[in-house]
Amino acid sequence: MKTAHELRPGNVIMLDGSPWVVQKTETTRSGRNAAIVKLKLKHVLQDSTTESTFKGEDKMEDIILERLDCTYSYYADPMYVFMDAEYNQYDVEAENLGDAAAYIVDGMEENCQVTFYEGKAISVELPTSVVREVTYTEPSARGDTSGKVMKPATITGGGTLSVADFVKTGDMIEIDTRTNEFKKRV
Amino acid sequence: MTSQNNPERWDIFCAVVDNYGDIGVTWRLAKQLSAKHRIAITLWVDDLKSFSHILPALDPALPSQIHFGVTINQWSDPLPILYQAGNVLIEAFACELPEQVKTRLISMHQASKLDPNAERPPLWLNLEYLSAESWVEGCHGLPSMQASGLKKYFYFPGFTAKTGGLICENELFEKRDAWQREPQNRLDLFSSLGLSGITADDEVVSVFSYESSTLQALCEAWQNSEHTTHALFPKGRSLNSLQPILPCSVETLTAGTQIKLGNLVIHILPMTDQEGYDKLLWSCDFNIVRGEDSFLRAQWAAKPFIWHIYAQEDDYHLIKLDAFMQLYCNNLPPELAKSWKALNLAFNKEQQELTVSHWQKLNLIGLPLLRHAKQWPIDAINDVDLVSRLVQFVKNS
Repeated sequence: MKTAHELRPGNVIMLDGSPWVVQKTETTRSGRNAAIVKLKLKHVLQDSTTESTFKGEDKMEDIILERLDCTYSYYADPMYVFMDAEYNQYDVEAENLGDAAAYIVDGMEENCQVTFYEGKAISVELPTSVVREVTYTEPSARGDTSGKVMKPATITGGGTLSVADFVKTGDMIEIDTRTNEFKKRV
Repeated sequence: MTSQNNPERWDIFCAVVDNYGDIGVTWRLAKQLSAKHRIAITLWVDDLKSFSHILPALDPALPSQIHFGVTINQWSDPLPILYQAGNVLIEAFACELPEQVKTRLISMHQASKLDPNAERPPLWLNLEYLSAESWVEGCHGLPSMQASGLKKYFYFPGFTAKTGGLICENELFEKRDAWQREPQNRLDLFSSLGLSGITADDEVVSVFSYESSTLQALCEAWQNSEHTTHALFPKGRSLNSLQPILPCSVETLTAGTQIKLGNLVIHILPMTDQEGYDKLLWSCDFNIVRGEDSFLRAQWAAKPFIWHIYAQEDDYHLIKLDAFMQLYCNNLPPELAKSWKALNLAFNKEQQELTVSHWQKLNLIGLPLLRHAKQWPIDAINDVDLVSRLVQFVKNS
């Protein structure tokens, strides 16, 4: 079981007897510190998506499906192609990657986990942290070195996130893929 | 939905977290659903003693009683009265429903799956906290699929047409305007509350906040001000913050007590019901309020106010405060907006000197701010109040 707060794109959960792939998670906070999680879900067996809201502590049945460690090979619209250690290729629909797609870039070395349902590759889970290059960010405005002042940045692959004020264009940074948060400069 | 014989029956569950906030909102909701839409409401409350502070006629020892047409049941574990499912079930502020209720909902859901003629479970709603943040529009009304197959819907109050709206009773603004038109009303009210010595020209501030060192700083400024300020405090969290400047222990203070410190007179307020609290807010020149219920009532009072927001981890409350201030100040001249925002921010960050300095600037801009406070309720309500939107939401679901 996982709480709604712990879910991330690529997870597959069981709701009312049906498997759903988590495509996007968005966590906010209600009035008294409680997390509210908005999920975009895709039904594994039908071609339908839905948006749903949960309390952060709501428990979800996280289905353990067959998974394989794979590396990203290439993109053939609308499929991302991954390869296992034995050079078998698996196609995953771009839509099923949800927010994780922002971290899938050519030449990436991190291992991803491809999830299968009844023999079909249905989603991909990223490692919890990845290292990416900052392709653009404004120069430091305040000379802050504490890491508390944040500013927007674009990374390889086109994704955006908030980074510490001291980060510069060209820096390599570590990102938590579960929260899309900057962790540190590498 | 205004039929005299509306057959609908709704249950509302409320867990009292602080003394008057959650139950304050829930009680207003229950009363309005019953009075305006003639829906049979059962309100389940886990702390009747706290509830009795705002509904003095309530007897906390009774498992069930009726007030203002609303059935009020004690929510203890196990429930002293059998839960019988109605058309709608509201969990207020994401409170965890009793096991007996959840079990009943699941069994109804399973039975209705097997037999289409079986009684269906009630429409299940989670009434969330009020927030002015933009994400609320994207989450309002979304289903929450439960592992059991039941669906719960998140209902978010809010300030825009795409949210669940704001609680506001019929003709509230007309009643307020009539009250405020007659200056003697406020003096009579103060007198009836045992607050003596307040004249028509005195500045009167009501204070219902959480603990804050800023209150002491404000009181010291009022003490040394050129004119008389009357600060009205109920017993509780705000007053506890003043202990360092009080000549006696907070514990010994009783309703009606007056403490004169220079040009400041501190009055201890008696407890009052919701209608009485509204009149108090309408009668003061400025209100310091907290949380959700008094925060909204201060807006409906059409008087300037400071919102002491519930503090959250990582200062997340400042994001919520800022979202509200942006909305509130939308039509304010920039300088005025800047001053009012700065005052609220400084108060919430417990920046004592800054709060005092912004308060002193506020006197110069008092009139335009008052005009804005009078216009704001009309803009904020967005044509339709929360209860009307909620009833429509249920109808559409």
